[in-house]
Amino acid sequence: MRIGSIRLTPYLFIAPFFVVFAAFGLYPLIYALQLSFMRWRGGSQARWVGLDNYLYLLTSPDFWASLGNSAVMWLLIVPLQIVAGLGGAVLLANARLRLRGFFRVAFIAPFVTPVVAMAQVWIVVFDQDYGLVNYLLNLVGLPDVGWLTTTAWSKPTLALLFLWKTTGFAIIILLAGLQAVPGGVYEAASLDGASRLRQFWSITVPLVRRSMAFLVVIQTLAVFQMFAEPHVVTEGGPYGSTTTAGLHLYDHITASDLGTGAANSFLLVLLVFGLSLASVRMLRPKDEVS
Amino acid sequence: MTTTPIGRRGFLKGALGIGALAATGSLAACAAPGGTGTQPSRLARPSASASAAKGEITIWNRSGDLFKVFDAAIAKFRQAYPNVTVNHQAVDIDAKLANTLISGTDVPDGSFWDDAKIGGQAEHLYDLTDLIAPYQDQTSPYKLSVNTVDGKIYGVPWDLDPGLLWYREDILESAGVDPAGLATYDDLLAAARTIKEKDPRTAPIHLEKTPFLSQLWLEMLANQQGTSLSDAQGRLRLDSAEYRRILTWIRGAVDDGLVTHAPYLEQADVNTLDNGQQVFVPWAIWWSFAPQQLLKKTKGKWRAAPLPAWTPGGARSGAMGGSSFIIPAKAKNPELAWLLYEFLCFKEPGYTAVYGPNDIYPGGLSTSIPSYRPALDPAKPLFRPIEALGGQDLWKVAVEAAETIPAAAPIPWWWAQSVDYLGNNVQRLMEGKMTPDQVISESAEKIQRNLIDRS
Repeated sequence: MRIGSIRLTPYLFIAPFFVVFAAFGLYPLIYALQLSFMRWRGGSQARWVGLDNYLYLLTSPDFWASLGNSAVMWLLIVPLQIVAGLGGAVLLANARLRLRGFFRVAFIAPFVTPVVAMAQVWIVVFDQDYGLVNYLLNLVGLPDVGWLTTTAWSKPTLALLFLWKTTGFAIIILLAGLQAVPGGVYEAASLDGASRLRQFWSITVPLVRRSMAFLVVIQTLAVFQMFAEPHVVTEGGPYGSTTTAGLHLYDHITASDLGTGAANSFLLVLLVFGLSLASVRMLRPKDEVS
Repeated sequence: MTTTPIGRRGFLKGALGIGALAATGSLAACAAPGGTGTQPSRLARPSASASAAKGEITIWNRSGDLFKVFDAAIAKFRQAYPNVTVNHQAVDIDAKLANTLISGTDVPDGSFWDDAKIGGQAEHLYDLTDLIAPYQDQTSPYKLSVNTVDGKIYGVPWDLDPGLLWYREDILESAGVDPAGLATYDDLLAAARTIKEKDPRTAPIHLEKTPFLSQLWLEMLANQQGTSLSDAQGRLRLDSAEYRRILTWIRGAVDDGLVTHAPYLEQADVNTLDNGQQVFVPWAIWWSFAPQQLLKKTKGKWRAAPLPAWTPGGARSGAMGGSSFIIPAKAKNPELAWLLYEFLCFKEPGYTAVYGPNDIYPGGLSTSIPSYRPALDPAKPLFRPIEALGGQDLWKVAVEAAETIPAAAPIPWWWAQSVDYLGNNVQRLMEGKMTPDQVISESAEKIQRNLIDRS
């Protein structure tokens, strides 16, 4: 099929993707963008309010508090996950590791476990009065800790759940990067007398930098979108201390403040885009930068 | 014949072209969201007789024992209306109903719903004013007021949940405290001090640890004084003498070490109820579930009395929670749904079937009472005396207390969201971290800015 000199057949082959994308990707995006400039509670006619929703959010202490909570969660999760992920990847990459299959399953099993189910387990295990963790602390003479009921401990406890759940994924990503490093580089370093630690620091870490950058970007997105864990375990409490950016956005929707919810989502997109860009630039290898 | 493959430029042009077409179509399709802004429909009384009423309705209810109770009651309805088929579905109403009403897709003909949520979705519901009119004078003023928005009634009032004072009769007797003398909240504090002096291990008064329930409880105490969080025009009235009185009382009880701060009927709460640390629980009638099902060690030792009053001679109860039935504006058979709810709420066979002894509750449903006054005869209990309360006639206590409940104002659409501010600050007050004035000023400022001004 042709129109003039242009063959249409190839375009017809790729058209279904674009049609589906337009219907389920582009249209909702444009609709949400339009909604972000309106005041609508889901019932009667929406009314245009211009930038009011954005201004409200940017001057709202609750909005900034939710971003702060997400930022703290990021600090608790991402650096530790890189270290733990790299450690797990190095372990799995070791040819002399016995029960490699067992370790692979053990690392990946949490990732495929439904988060809501694990959140319920977390509630029971970290219960202040009857949880297993406080029981063990009491056995060694330590007092109960309000893991989920105090502002000091609720974030670390949730961060632990997120770490437990997603570190397997980090290990897979870093293992793939590790396996792409040529073995000859390590051989040459050994011949030059480099210790294992030196090899790790000077060869492994730089050469998996791209994988680390990818992981940082993905996990930054995940942490700022974090919803299920704080919603199920703490409902954003105590006192909003675990209300993440994702949960705060959800709160607008449940309050039927749909325009503000839409504006919140676009602000979050801009923020996460900026953070991801900064992370990638920071982790870019020096030779690539020059 | 050879064909030229698509070049990079050609592909990009094609993708941009398709994308532009899609975006233009999207923008054109993006009409301003929302409905036409028309007034809710007023549902008129069905003209068909019981035998002539015919059709099928879908009714939503929460799952659990109450669903089974309503299922049995619906069977009685079907005897009265043999040609009406009721498709009774157990649904997660909290998750599904609001979205279903907004989207208008697969809307049920009727649903059970919390009073606190009805006002916020009034524009999606039928105006039932004309249908409720014959029963209006005989319905609890409180239930009518919470179902009324701008002078129109949107819910069929179902249950009334009067607040009562639950207490350990044996501990009061041993401390020499006469429950009949607990006429005011000052009397309650004095009794708590007496009990604590006799046994320092006690922290006699229950204070709720979860923000949502503590705010619901606060509203019960406010309703006792004839007020609520907002007035009929939606204006916030938190900064008032009534709320200040309640919060000051709470803070005083906390400062004197007279309280057990525990989450409603979780293990920590149950343990301290059973071991005698807690002696007084000012709570709705639905706390009766606890001595019957949970408090194994103290079964038979708990009793119920009217709440103390805030001022001598004041109301001896306030409402805490409550539910009604709604008929969505897009229901297919709203008249038939009305016939069902009229039967369940205002007809003796109906409310007797709900509250009376049945297979699920052999003694009857004792966690609420009807809001329809002809059903509330102290001498004709719908449910039997409660063995777990030492054989006490809870029906009589609840009905007499409920008579004193003042009317309220419609519950504002933002009530549930205000828990993030007021509920949390009440918790801070109970932990001694805030004063009553701080709770009022900070909560009022945030509720006004983040909720009311966003309407």
